[in-house]
Parts: sequence; structure tokens; C-alpha cells
Amino acid sequence: MVFQLVPLLQEVWLSFTKTTLLNPNLNVWVGMANFQSVLANPSFRQTLLTTVIYVAACVVGSVGLGLLVALLLNGRFPGRAVARSLVTVPWAAPGIAVALIATWMFNPQFGILTRTLRGMGIDPGPNGVLNNPQLALGAILVTTIWQLVPFVAVVLLSALQGVPQELVEAAQVDGAGRWMTFRVVTWQVLKPTIGLVAVLMTIWSLRRFELIWLMTRGGPLGSTRTLVIDLYAQAFESKQLGTAAAIGMVGVVIAMIVIIGGRLVANAAAKEA
Amino acid sequence: MGAGTLAGCSSEPQGSSATPQQATITFAASTLGDPGRGPGLQKLIDEYNSSQHVVTVQPASVPYPTFGQTVLTQMGGGEGPDLVRFDMPEFSTAASSGLLEPLDDKIDAQKLKLIPGPDKYLTVDEHRYGVIFENSNYGMFYNKDLIPQAPKTFEEFVQTAKNTTKGDVYGLAFRQTQAEEAGVWQDIFNYVLGFGGDWSDGGKLTIDSPKVIEGLKAYQQLYDANVIPKGADAATFRKMFANGKVGMELNNGGYVTATKSANANLNFSVARIPFPEKKQGALLAPITINANSKHKDAALDFINWLLKPDQQVKLQEVLGASSVATPTERSAESLQKFPFLPVLDELTESGVPQIVKGFGPQTADIRHIVVSQVLAALQGQQDMATAMEKAQKQAEELVGR
Amino acid sequence: MMHRIRLGVAGRTIAVLVVLGLAIFPVYWMFVTALSSDEELFSSSSVNILPNFSRFGVFAAALADGQVVTWLLNSLIVAAGTTVLSIGLGIPLGYALSRFTFRGKAAVGLALLFTQMLPEALLVVPLFAMFRRFDLLNSLHGLILADTAFALPVVSLILKGAIDGVPRDLDEAARVDGSRPPTVLARIILPLIAPAIAAAAVIAFFSAWNEYVFAVTFVFDKPLQPASVGVAGFIGEQDTSIQSIMAVGLLFTLPAVAFYLFAQRYVVSGMTAGAVKG
Repeated sequence: MVFQLVPLLQEVWLSFTKTTLLNPNLNVWVGMANFQSVLANPSFRQTLLTTVIYVAACVVGSVGLGLLVALLLNGRFPGRAVARSLVTVPWAAPGIAVALIATWMFNPQFGILTRTLRGMGIDPGPNGVLNNPQLALGAILVTTIWQLVPFVAVVLLSALQGVPQELVEAAQVDGAGRWMTFRVVTWQVLKPTIGLVAVLMTIWSLRRFELIWLMTRGGPLGSTRTLVIDLYAQAFESKQLGTAAAIGMVGVVIAMIVIIGGRLVANAAAKEA
Repeated sequence: MGAGTLAGCSSEPQGSSATPQQATITFAASTLGDPGRGPGLQKLIDEYNSSQHVVTVQPASVPYPTFGQTVLTQMGGGEGPDLVRFDMPEFSTAASSGLLEPLDDKIDAQKLKLIPGPDKYLTVDEHRYGVIFENSNYGMFYNKDLIPQAPKTFEEFVQTAKNTTKGDVYGLAFRQTQAEEAGVWQDIFNYVLGFGGDWSDGGKLTIDSPKVIEGLKAYQQLYDANVIPKGADAATFRKMFANGKVGMELNNGGYVTATKSANANLNFSVARIPFPEKKQGALLAPITINANSKHKDAALDFINWLLKPDQQVKLQEVLGASSVATPTERSAESLQKFPFLPVLDELTESGVPQIVKGFGPQTADIRHIVVSQVLAALQGQQDMATAMEKAQKQAEELVGR
Repeated sequence: MMHRIRLGVAGRTIAVLVVLGLAIFPVYWMFVTALSSDEELFSSSSVNILPNFSRFGVFAAALADGQVVTWLLNSLIVAAGTTVLSIGLGIPLGYALSRFTFRGKAAVGLALLFTQMLPEALLVVPLFAMFRRFDLLNSLHGLILADTAFALPVVSLILKGAIDGVPRDLDEAARVDGSRPPTVLARIILPLIAPAIAAAAVIAFFSAWNEYVFAVTFVFDKPLQPASVGVAGFIGEQDTSIQSIMAVGLLFTLPAVAFYLFAQRYVVSGMTAGAVKG
């Protein structure tokens, strides 16, 4: 905890100072100036929007697909144990390796995915998917969700084991359809786990760096520049730690809003039910 | 610029070192990670280690993709490798922030016969902070099987690129994606300089000056002509060049060894870039001593060893077609292997390091602004003149603050 | 068994195969790419979709290098250390958060989430200064501490969630019998939350196995480098061999998969235990 909280508080302090990477111990108090300059920058609005789209799509995509995969793997079919293991491969693959293979598969001349897309009649343009401002974010999202789904699936699969079998049977005896059974029994058991997973996905997606940095570095035309990319560029290219910390705080505020908002919605829903 | 003028102050004999203490020091160089050149450099370091029993140099492990960031973070935090081979933008940042050890009284440029052209860039705020480790001039690499006769003018260059582009083969390749921001900067440098422009006059930014825009329009003309593998990164198109799938490439001399190691049979040569002005980018990479180092004497000893004539020749062999700190003779053997070497060596005096003159420490920021605007122009969002007007304004705001 | 959503065994099997295909294809493609020649990679006319085993030497060469083995071992030490430490600390923390009422409990829970929100890139500078003071730089145990700091909040939240799911009657009954909280935790609760522990262990392991920013900044000596840094080192300034980078990337992926398969047993056995109870 010390290793987390102390640096965290230091970052809060830094966000009100002008501090460079090259001399992190020299802090000049500048008040709100960092926040003002960050928020006044017109491209920061695009960064925020990109971040929100990216995070929302990651959460919805990974939780939705992860739930489907978990339900699928929870059933009976030959080779279940093997399938349950193999499906986790994307999650186990290191970020750098994923970025490398994804970049190669999206290569505009020789990439297997580019060829497949062209074969299907979808032309990503001569620059390829990753250098097309309309498609780059989509490509990054597909790669991210590909990596996250197994994680969600594994966690939900283990939560599914806690679904009381008697209740399922009781519901079926009462004549409930599968969808009804799912909603009344399974969903109720899964709900807290899904809530936790959704929070984790939100936070991790807000923080995701390597994959985007290695695949597009926030380009083309800033279309994949999320808060973390912006923050990294400020801290390590412009070497302005103060400004970077201010961007980080904006990210924290967003995460807090999402999480607290999510709790409120969940609580309200619980009361209604 | 007389970097050697301070030499008289020191009581020690110049160019030779005081006997260093027993020490193991680290050396960070992105070159160490190159498949072609890394092993050769390692061999040279091993030779130093076995030449004496006092100092041991060990390679520090800093991968190329985050080299500058990582080393600067470590140095800002009071640590970092003892010896660092920096690229120019990071060098000027580190030097002007007091992270590098001044070498004024430790290096005598005249006595060591350092080549003055590139050496003058290593003095920041009137102090010397490094010695040239590698100086790589940019030339036009071309595949002789695809292009028997090297183009001599820009018009011929464009025409050759168009004529060579057929099926799988592209006439030219250069970097044009945000993911390779630093690489795009290196590439557009040649166009800007070759058309007589410069990013600044030393005191004032001139990003939107007509000559700069003309050079960038030339770059855009080739992009629009569909003669390059668009979206391909350097790792890919350099391999394509090595496999005869790309006709021409503007690149620095360091690339010769890499190409040769990727495909020993490739029939290629190098000529001067056929742009109107005989001026081109140079990849200057000084070796420096970290101001935090606990073994500065040992680090200096290694530098002095490296500057000896025998070692300079060996270093040059390892680095390929780059030149080093001092004038060295090319061996007959390497001249036979690479007959074009004199062409590249001759460019040393007209080479310009890839920093914004007078704005060295801010180069990385200006680079980001300029490259983003240039790429937006390539994507058809704006014309090049508008792009550079915007870049000029943003960069002025930046350096003003 | 349960929850069949309108799928027969056949339909389900096909769906599973499609999912597996999508999950595995990119990794398979790394394998094929690693075994291709330059000629094959840079030809737009044809494409190899089957691995060319005659070029298997790429892997042998990567392993023979020796460095790769060292990297993998370092990563293994860091990842295993992080897993043990964050589970060891996460269990009591999760238990306390779930069962005890104490002042500022909500704040601790929120702080746990809060610490997860900042990217490594932002924490690396202050953490560097702290590590320097405590002499933790350039060591694998330092890296374990840094990675644990990052993994612990998630691990404790997951374990807290799991312990929340265990009926309080169970531990209250045990306490009436005179057992103290640590005994209750070990005897009653831990066996019940075994799957959650396994899941949390997997998360901790992978986050440390993949971590790059701390690893590249805090460790200076080549022999201490973990694999994430080693792999990145294959991206050269002048020259990058796509084949060797894919080969090394794959070698880097396999142990993580293997670890998961190992942990999976416990996830599954935990599951069956839970199923019997249920």
C-alpha cells in the first residue's frame, strides 16, 4: 500500500506544479495552471471523447462477449476441459507480443487480416487499417477485446459454479423458460461478479498503454489518442511531469464518476427489485 | 567552435586518462540491440575488457522503442547507465538539464583530431558534453538490379520511383505513420534541407517558410504518387528493400550493415540524395558520461580507448557506412565490399543533425507538432502550407512558454 | 447440465470451436510467421497458412542464445513472487474488508480502487525515487514489490467479493465453537473461496509477467532483465527480424499459458468443491 499511496499523493501534488522529468525534485507551484492548459487545449476534447468511446466499448464488448463465452463453456460438450484452457490463451499472451502480431496481421501490404478484409470486399484504403483514421480505433478495440474476453469468461465461469442447481431446477419446474431462468436465477448470482468485472475493465481500459502505443502511438490524426497516451507523451516526450499528473487526475476523476455513478445505478436498481 | 580552448585549464595530460579505480560500469546504446551491429559492438567492448583488468564495461539493457524515455527517467531519478550513446534530441535535452558530465577539460578536440563538422554540435551552453560515437550521413540507397542508373535530379527521382513501382515492387519507401513519429521526422528532414529550407534560423522558428513548405510538398508529391508501401513501418519496408521489393530508400549509413546482414546477396548501392541543395540530415550520436555516474574516470577511460586510431577503425567497421569521431581510412577490403563508401563519407561536412537549430532541448516537442501536422496534410485534411502555418503557431507558443 | 440456451451438444461444440479458433488464431499466426522466410512474408501473391517446420531452427536459435532462458526465468521469479505476495496479503485484507467493521473501511475500499486508476507511466517517477531510497532498484525483489503494489488492490477486491459470498452463519458457528478469526479464515473460508483465489492468482501472475514500464526503468543489469523487456529489445533501430521477434514472443507467451493450465486445475477442483456444497 505504501508503494501505491505515497506516489499517488505525490502525483496529486505534482499536478499543481511545474516539474520536469529531468529534474523531478524541483517543483515550482503553479496552482491550477496545468489543469487550465490541459483543459484549454482543443485536442484534449477529442482525447476525452476517444477515451470514453474506447473504455465504453471495451467494457461492453468484453463483458458481453465474456458472458456468452462463459455460458457456452459452462455447458456440456466433448473436450470441455481442453477448451476451457485453450480459450484463455489471448489473456495469457503478453501485451507486447499481442501488439506485434496484431500490427503484423494488420500490415497494409502483407497482413493476413488486411487480405481477408479485402477478400471480403472491405477496402481499408491504401494505408491499411491502422493508418486509417476511421478504422484505427476499431482495430485497437478488436485487439483489446480479443485479449479481455477470456479473462471475463474465466471469472464469470467460476462465478457460474455458484449458481444453486436446486433453484434452476425449481424455476424450470415452475415452467420458467430458459431466458426466464437465466434472468431470475443465474443473473442474480452473477450480478455482483459482473459489477466487479465491469469496474476492473473500466479501470484497466483507462490505463491501457502498451498496446495502443506500440500499434498506433495515438495516431493517425489523434484518432487513438487516449488519456494515457496523452499522459505518456507529456511525461516522457515533452518531459512535463506536472502536466502529465494533471491529465492523470482528470482520468481519476472520470473513473470515480463512472464507478460511483455505477454504484448509484446498481443501488437504485436493487431497491426497485 | 573551440571546444578545446578550455583544455589548458587542466593539469592532466590531455587525451590520456588518469588511472581509474577498479570498477564495473554500464553502457547503454540502442545499437547494442541491432541484430546486425549489436554483436560487433559487443565484441569491441569485450576487447576493451580484456585489454586491461581495471575497468569492465557491461551493456545496459534498454530496448530501442523506449530508449530515450527510460534512460532520461533513470537519470532524472539520480541513477542511469554510466555511459550513454544518445541521439541528438535526447542529447540536447540531457545536456541542457545538467544530466551529463561536462568534458571540457577531459577531451582535447585538436589533439584527438576530432572531425570538426559534427563535433561542434556537442557543445551546449559553451560546454562540451560528449564525443561523436557515430555520425551517419543520409544517402539514397538503391537496388541496382531494379534501378541500374541512379537518378540525378528530383524529377528523375520521382520518375524512377514511378517506373519501378510494379506489382509487388515499390519504387520508394519512407516513414509516414504517427506510430513512427521520430522516423518521419528523420525522413522529412532530408526533404526540407534538400530544398533549401530549415526549421529555424537559429534564433527564430521558420517552420512555415516557403522553402520548408516546398520540401514537404515534394515529400507529399511522392506520397500521393502511390510509389511507396503506404502504412508499412520501417521494420517492414527495410526488409522489403533487402528482398528486392523496394527500389530506393533515403537512409543513413548505419543501415548498410543491417541490409547486408538481412540479405548478403542484395545488389545495392548508395548515391547522394538528388535534391536541389547538397545538404542532408545526419544521424549524430554522441557518447556521453552520466553526471550521476560513480565511476566517471572509468567511463572516460573507455571513451579514450575508443578514440584511439585502431579502435576507431574497428568501430567504424562495426557501424557500417557511418563515420566516427576521427578521420579514419576505409580498409581496402571494406571499399571493395562497399564501393560507395566514399560517397557517404564525403557528405559528412554537409550533414545536419536532426535537431531544430537553437531549440535543441525542445526538438522532441517541435517534432511532435510538425509531424502531426504533416501527417494530417498527407491524409488530405489540409494543404501543406496551412499545416505548417499551424505548426509554426503551436511551436511558437511552446517555445515561448 | 444447466443453462443450455437453445443449443444442442452439436451446436454448442461448433460454437466452441469457432470461439477457440478466434482465440487461438493470432497465436498460431505468430508461429506461422516465425517459421516463414522473408520471401514468403513479403509476397502479396501467395500466403502460407501452414507452418513450415523445416525452419524450426528459429526457435532452437532463440533458445540456444541463453539470454531468452534467463529472461524467462527472471519473469517467472517476478511473476511467482508477485502472486504469492499479493495472495498472501490479499487474503487477510479481503477478509478484513468483508467481515470486520472498522472506521474508514469505506475509505480503504475506495482507496484500493483509486490506486488502480493511475497508469504505471505516472507512478514510475515517484516510485523510482522511493525505490532508490530503500535500495530496491536493480533487483528482482524490488520489481516484485512494485508489481505487488499494482496487483494487490485487484486481488483483495476479488477476494473480498468472494468472501462476501460465503454465508456469515458459517463463520459465526465456528466462532461460537471458540475458533479465532485466523482459524475461521483458514479452515472454513479459504476452502470455499478456492476458485476465487485461483482466479486472483492468475490475474496477479499475468500482470507481473507482462509488466514492462517498471521492469525497463527499475532494472539496469542485463542478467536481471525479465522477458517483457527482452522481447522489446528485439525491435532494433536499424533492423528488426520479424521472425525472431515472433519466435521470442511466442516463447514468452507459452509459459503464461502453461501457468494458467496449472492454475486451472485448482480453479476446477475449487469449482467442484463449491458445486458439492451448493
